[in-house]
Amino acid sequence: MRLGKPVDRSGDVPQRARNEATIVLGQRKLFQRFGPGLMHAAIFWGFVVLFPTILMAMIAAVDREATLPWLGSQGWFALLVDVFAVLVLLGVVAAVGIRKVQRPARFEGSHLGEADLILAMIAGIVTTLLLWHASRIALGLHEWEAGWSPVSNALSGLFGDGTLTEVLERVFIWAHVLIILSFLAYLPHSKHLHIATAAFNVYFGRTGPGGRLEPLRFDGPEEEMRFGAGTVPDLTWKQTMDAFSCTECGRCQDVCPAWNTGKDLSPKLLIMGIRDQVFADGPKLLRDVDFDPSPLVPDAVPETSVWDCVTCGACVQECPVSIEHVDHIVDLRRHLVMVESRFPSEAEPMLRDVERASNPWGRAQTERADWAEKLGVRVLEPGEPAPEVLYWVGCAASFDERAKTAAESTAKLLQAAGVDFAILGPREGCTGDPARRMGNEYLFQAHAEQNVATLNEAGVTKIVASCPHCFNTLGNEYGDFGGSYEVVHHTELLADLVREGRLQPTADGGSITYHDSCYLARHNDVRSDPRELVAAVGEPVEMARSGKRTFCCGAGGAHMWMEERGGAINEERAREASETGADTLAVACPFCTVMLDDGVRARGDEIRVVDVSTLLVESLEDPPPA
Amino acid sequence: MAGVLVLVEHASGAVDDLSLQAVALARQVAAGAPLAALLVSEGGRDAAAQLGSHGVTTAHVAEDERLAAFAPAAWARCVDELIDRLDPSAVVAAGSNRGNEVLAHVGARRDLPFAANVTSIGAGEPPTLTRVRWGGSLLEEARLHAPLALLTAAPHMVAAGPVNGAAPPDVEAFAPALEPADLVVQVSEHVDATATGVSLAEAKVVVSGGRGVGSAEGFGILEELAAQLHAAVGCSRVVTSAGWRPHTDQVGQTGTKVSPDLYIACGISGATQHIAGCKGAKKMLAINADAEAPILNSADYAVIGDLTEIVPAITAELRRARER
Repeated sequence: MRLGKPVDRSGDVPQRARNEATIVLGQRKLFQRFGPGLMHAAIFWGFVVLFPTILMAMIAAVDREATLPWLGSQGWFALLVDVFAVLVLLGVVAAVGIRKVQRPARFEGSHLGEADLILAMIAGIVTTLLLWHASRIALGLHEWEAGWSPVSNALSGLFGDGTLTEVLERVFIWAHVLIILSFLAYLPHSKHLHIATAAFNVYFGRTGPGGRLEPLRFDGPEEEMRFGAGTVPDLTWKQTMDAFSCTECGRCQDVCPAWNTGKDLSPKLLIMGIRDQVFADGPKLLRDVDFDPSPLVPDAVPETSVWDCVTCGACVQECPVSIEHVDHIVDLRRHLVMVESRFPSEAEPMLRDVERASNPWGRAQTERADWAEKLGVRVLEPGEPAPEVLYWVGCAASFDERAKTAAESTAKLLQAAGVDFAILGPREGCTGDPARRMGNEYLFQAHAEQNVATLNEAGVTKIVASCPHCFNTLGNEYGDFGGSYEVVHHTELLADLVREGRLQPTADGGSITYHDSCYLARHNDVRSDPRELVAAVGEPVEMARSGKRTFCCGAGGAHMWMEERGGAINEERAREASETGADTLAVACPFCTVMLDDGVRARGDEIRVVDVSTLLVESLEDPPPA
Repeated sequence: MAGVLVLVEHASGAVDDLSLQAVALARQVAAGAPLAALLVSEGGRDAAAQLGSHGVTTAHVAEDERLAAFAPAAWARCVDELIDRLDPSAVVAAGSNRGNEVLAHVGARRDLPFAANVTSIGAGEPPTLTRVRWGGSLLEEARLHAPLALLTAAPHMVAAGPVNGAAPPDVEAFAPALEPADLVVQVSEHVDATATGVSLAEAKVVVSGGRGVGSAEGFGILEELAAQLHAAVGCSRVVTSAGWRPHTDQVGQTGTKVSPDLYIACGISGATQHIAGCKGAKKMLAINADAEAPILNSADYAVIGDLTEIVPAITAELRRARER
């Protein structure tokens, strides 16, 4: 970590303290899976409570008659020790059950032997502790009332009070201390290092919106300048800490859309690969300034894995120790794109078109507002007063025939509710999101600066975006380039209008299942407003993977413009939606619209894919017969 | 001679269009000084005769049976020998794959800079070049500091035209002193890119299929239609994802961008990613079962119906018209 590049994780102390309390002490993210979460919590809380017994044991190992002052003779503490020792044992039994009987696929590629050894050590530590207490009670050496220790007291019946027990008491205490010391010695070489690093990694985890990427600074001092991550010394200290914190639990792998459709990427194996490389190159770099570290791609991470990622953030959401996989992947891409110019060739036209035409399909900017003409939407000309709300349409809804419907619907609804709005038309440019997620930070920043200049000059204060990617970029990322606006997603604004009674839909749209876009639900916490709209026009049905734990449509991370290897993510999601039996699959993102519509067609399903705004328009236009 | 040497590519006795454009650029560079051409391999003599009307005064034809197949280093040696002999102020070639490759070799052999994709040359010493960069997104003005300018002409950016009253050039054959190393890399075989022998990017007509075609076998009727029209067969991304056609057939943002006179889209819904690849078509005919398909907004003509009936019907009609 001493080699790590700087990244600012100071500030936001109350938020960090809250994360520490809920994620570490409260085990919040582990409880996202209840069974394994309970298992881990029993062991974790057990060791928090049992911590003082390590000191007591070390003291007593040297001097049989001594213990910690005060605490060592408290009956209530002895009770806690008994209770939590048993909980830890139950936790270990559950863990063995999970690993040996249940054997979830998420452990594929993890070091299984290591985990077994550690579980054995934990069981050994706690068993020797209980037996030691039992033998002390048998010998009358206990400093507390024996009645406080139901378990140890019961076990003490196994022992007499003779010499054999005196010897056994020494055996148990030394076995206990030796296992603890071996455990500590083994720790740095194993995945169990997380007990030392995880609390820090959580504290220094990101506090802002998940969708924001850390900008690269091309104008700072040379030694701080980064072009992503090519070798170990390019990693930030947080990324190195991430690598040290991984426990190989595989929760990330389990939810990853790429892994789930047979692609090479596993977020777990990616972090493990980086960790191994840090351990291999780090010490050499510290010893020898001239050491030439090996490239992270492909030595630590296969090149295909880097490009499989859809930046959906499911892994980050799932990770109990706040590893930020997406940041790692984007940094690897940045290096490949900006330094080595190595990326899937089919994405090249997209980058060129974003650069040249300011939209990823190379369409003429003059055609950007064509969809709006027949609706009479105001196009904000230079020098005109800014509207109350600027509608940022985005490239997809401006040019894609299927996605256009959402733009038309949104405009109709804003008109119906009497909202003062306008669009930028040809002056709106690609936000740069696909370029940024591909790793082309230069191109993104050029677009960010251009768009911020346009918006600031127009005096825009509030923006509504119907594309979650634009929404995320405008709201979370343009702040780094001098653009601060109140940015809302169209589903948020429309939900407001419905609540205010300015739009009055009726619930006759049949059963509807709503697909959460990653950049809305997971990265920006927009979950309830679109659901309110769905409930206002029909009968909601939830998919198993929804809300913050949604499953990507397959388009994110610039995958709209790349060829997919392995199974199709969109078909996997279309399958899940169809299996709800709903008539309609409601979406709130132009890319989800295209991907899922394709997925449904490919599978030959019947479910209709449509933007929430269009459902709202239909509900208003065709009120049910009275 | 202090004139200009231009490398001319030709096929079956006819000079390539791109090379005529290179000759036009070379005339500009020569500004009245003598213009010599180099033609390699058989048919060079026939092709040379056409160059007189383009201002070439002398045509040097390199003759050696080992030059029958294109070999970039061998061509570069021919250029190299002529440079020694003629001492030109510039060597110009077409901005074709071959032209760029051969001049790159010449640059490497003589340790000279090389400016590719030049559109015009201006006054000044050293002269100002305008050249196309970044895939056509940028025109660069540059000065070339070199004792001998190596230039290729940007394709379709320089107008080729005959000059008045010029006689056929003098033809001088020579045998270059080729070495085995010059022939290590050479063309061994020509393989057609598509089944119909028409390349997708250059085809005047493209018959393209999407999900509506239904299967790899379903493309049979599209291939038959393409054969009648001397067209290339393309497809949409879903088709390559499904493995029905190779990725080289894909038309779209992540495949080939085409600009034929006629684009026939069969069973293609018209995702933006696909439209991005075929919007350069002069006319588009959509054949689709869905009257609401987005492709209809981009198409000039449309037939709504079952493509397995419509496509063979068009093929049959074309056959009948041909037989008549």
